[in-house]
Amino acid sequence: MPQQLSCLANNAAKPFAKHFMNLGFGTEIIYSFVIILASLMIYFGTKELYELSSHKGIKYFRLAFLFFAIAYFFRSFIKFALVYFNTGAILDICPRTMGPLAGHLTLFIFMYFSTMAIFYLLYSVMWKKWNSNTNRLYLFHLLALALSTIILLSRNPLVHFLVNLVLLIFVILVVYIAHNEKKSKLKHNNLYTIYILLFIFWIINILNILIPKFFQTSKLFIYLASIGIFLTILYKVLKKTG
Amino acid sequence: MAKRNKLEIIKDILEIVKDNNHSIKPTPLLRKSNISSSRFKEYFKELKNKEFIKVIQKPDGKFVALTEKGFKFLEKYQTIINFIDEFEL
Repeated sequence: MPQQLSCLANNAAKPFAKHFMNLGFGTEIIYSFVIILASLMIYFGTKELYELSSHKGIKYFRLAFLFFAIAYFFRSFIKFALVYFNTGAILDICPRTMGPLAGHLTLFIFMYFSTMAIFYLLYSVMWKKWNSNTNRLYLFHLLALALSTIILLSRNPLVHFLVNLVLLIFVILVVYIAHNEKKSKLKHNNLYTIYILLFIFWIINILNILIPKFFQTSKLFIYLASIGIFLTILYKVLKKTG
Repeated sequence: MAKRNKLEIIKDILEIVKDNNHSIKPTPLLRKSNISSSRFKEYFKELKNKEFIKVIQKPDGKFVALTEKGFKFLEKYQTIINFIDEFEL
């Protein structure tokens, strides 16, 4: 107990205001805000279309962006915690005190929602083919929970990297197969490219959270590219929904 | 002729109602919908539950009429199809 108190007291004593005004942190908040806003605009912008059609593809597409918004909200929360507790990585956040609450739980929620967002987007494209197997979605939830648990329990950056690499390869394979089956529809090529880029940058974002020093130099590029991808999808949605 | 999907069938049923001065008896609606009786019953139930159509009792029998939501669906149908097509949903 005295250890916990001392840890909290030390953190409170840190120059929070200085970190808060830090340009990097400000960029993080703006970045997350733009992504959350774009995701929510996609979610609410397609509400009427879903309510009228009850189309499963639209349902999963909307859920993907709702989950992206929730995941990015927790991402900002993690970054806030990193700045507040002045630590290098989320798993180091005062493990004996705030770890189970602010650190580990947030990381677990972030990982779960982000993985499910990817699975929902994948499902929105593949649901017609996978519809015969209704348990597949439950399987994805279980897989997302399992991946989140692995990342939470393992403190090895290499494990984080490998888990996300496997996830990325799985997603690219599924999208590639779907793309090949619709080869004649050339106009859809752009969409699959956008989706692949979205998945790649999402994985980079996760790695950026788990291993902050890994992408230190190219952080701004990652942020700009991620915003560009989300805004492109938002533009396409707004163009089609009016 | 290609097999119609669910949204197309719903649109066709609603358009038949609309083209008949916004109300039609169930039997001619079934005939014009060009689907089996059992499937028509399913669609009819679904359209009523979604409040796209309503049944009106008139002196000369029951009539099916479009609701405001039904008109909205017809209005937005092409947007829905374009959206599904654009995102390959």
